[in-house]
Amino acid sequence: MEAIRNYLETMFANLPNTPEVLRAKNELWQMMEDKYNELVADGKSDNEAVGTVIAEFGNLDEISEDLGIRNVVTGTQDINRRQVTIEEVKRYLHESSNYAYKISLGIFFCIISPVGAILSEAVNYSDLIGVLFLMAFVATAVILFVHSSITIHRWDFLKQELCTIDFATTNYVHDQKEHYTSTYALLMTVGIVLCVISFVPAAIIDELDISFFGFDTDDMAGVLLFLFVAIGVFMIVLSYNINNSYTNILKLNNASTVSGNYVPSQHPETKYISPAAATIMSIYWQTVTCLYLIWSFLTFNWHYTWIIWPIAGIISGVLNSAFKKR
Amino acid sequence: MNSISSDVIRGYNDTIILFLLLQHPSYGYEISKQIKTLTEEKYIIKETTLYSAFTRMEKNGYIESFSSDKEGSGKRRTYYRITEAGRQYYNDKCSEWNLTKEVIENFILKEDNYGSNQELS
Repeated sequence: MEAIRNYLETMFANLPNTPEVLRAKNELWQMMEDKYNELVADGKSDNEAVGTVIAEFGNLDEISEDLGIRNVVTGTQDINRRQVTIEEVKRYLHESSNYAYKISLGIFFCIISPVGAILSEAVNYSDLIGVLFLMAFVATAVILFVHSSITIHRWDFLKQELCTIDFATTNYVHDQKEHYTSTYALLMTVGIVLCVISFVPAAIIDELDISFFGFDTDDMAGVLLFLFVAIGVFMIVLSYNINNSYTNILKLNNASTVSGNYVPSQHPETKYISPAAATIMSIYWQTVTCLYLIWSFLTFNWHYTWIIWPIAGIISGVLNSAFKKR
Repeated sequence: MNSISSDVIRGYNDTIILFLLLQHPSYGYEISKQIKTLTEEKYIIKETTLYSAFTRMEKNGYIESFSSDKEGSGKRRTYYRITEAGRQYYNDKCSEWNLTKEVIENFILKEDNYGSNQELS
């Protein structure tokens, strides 16, 4: 049955997404399914049934006139879509995940780069060692950035050219993405939590005022803060990038190709009740970010200025429901 | 020659389908199955041919489609029923065929004759 579905999807893969084409596809699918079911009920093997159904399907050429797609089927109209094979897609996903690891590791190194300096300060080594540590971390990060961006560069065509993938590939990527959802959610949540609570160890150490293996505990607080944020950001960037690579593939099929049964739904543009409301909503988050930074830098009360985010989130929700056109 | 050339039969797919729809409203697969059985598997209509005929005749107003779950199998299918114009068209096609048959018949050798004729050539 799957084979028949794939066959039909492939036949229709490059046709425009019009009501006529969709209806034809559904009708033909109905007939093929009925025929297959009856053949199997008559005791034919799965292979035989699939073979018969496909052999007796006919030629799309025949219905092209009725569908107004004559040009497309006979290929006189140039629909220049590059067919991306499943092998290419697998390779892309693999390399994307490598890319994601390198990028997030690079960012990780950048964030923890001051740690070496702090530690060498704590044990009273010369500042030079601290600076060397910092340089080494940053250099590693730069190497990772440059290397990863070079390798991912050759997949640029996915964004620049019109590409398309067949039904089986769409299914495959969709499954993979589903499979990744739980990991994605977990990494995102833990990453965000780590960032939010990054100041907690510092606060505790400050409160307890204990010494720690002879290090100055205040320095340890700084190190832990950087480490928490670095690990948190690593998790967020990594999972976001991997998830994004699946979406990139699934986005290749858009509304004008039929095989894209898993097209991420087109986000209808949000409509607001008045132009003023639209303006307010369009600058809302930028304003909040500015307020947050101004408040934080003026007072240096970073440990509670973050409260602006949850509050802004709630206000945004309220404004949205008040301003949105139904 | 043991299969029908689709070029020849194309003009009569409509007649075949309308004949079956005259009995009762029906859906794609049922019609293709009936054609297969009635012709003793000498003519198997392709799915695309059948669909093409449906859309063409619907556009011309010979048949109407409706969605229904007649067999109670829980699966809705597109059914087609013949219209008054369809009946008229069917009758026209029948007389056209009778005429065609009469005309062409004049040029067809009798079964045993054409057997020997083939041997000659």
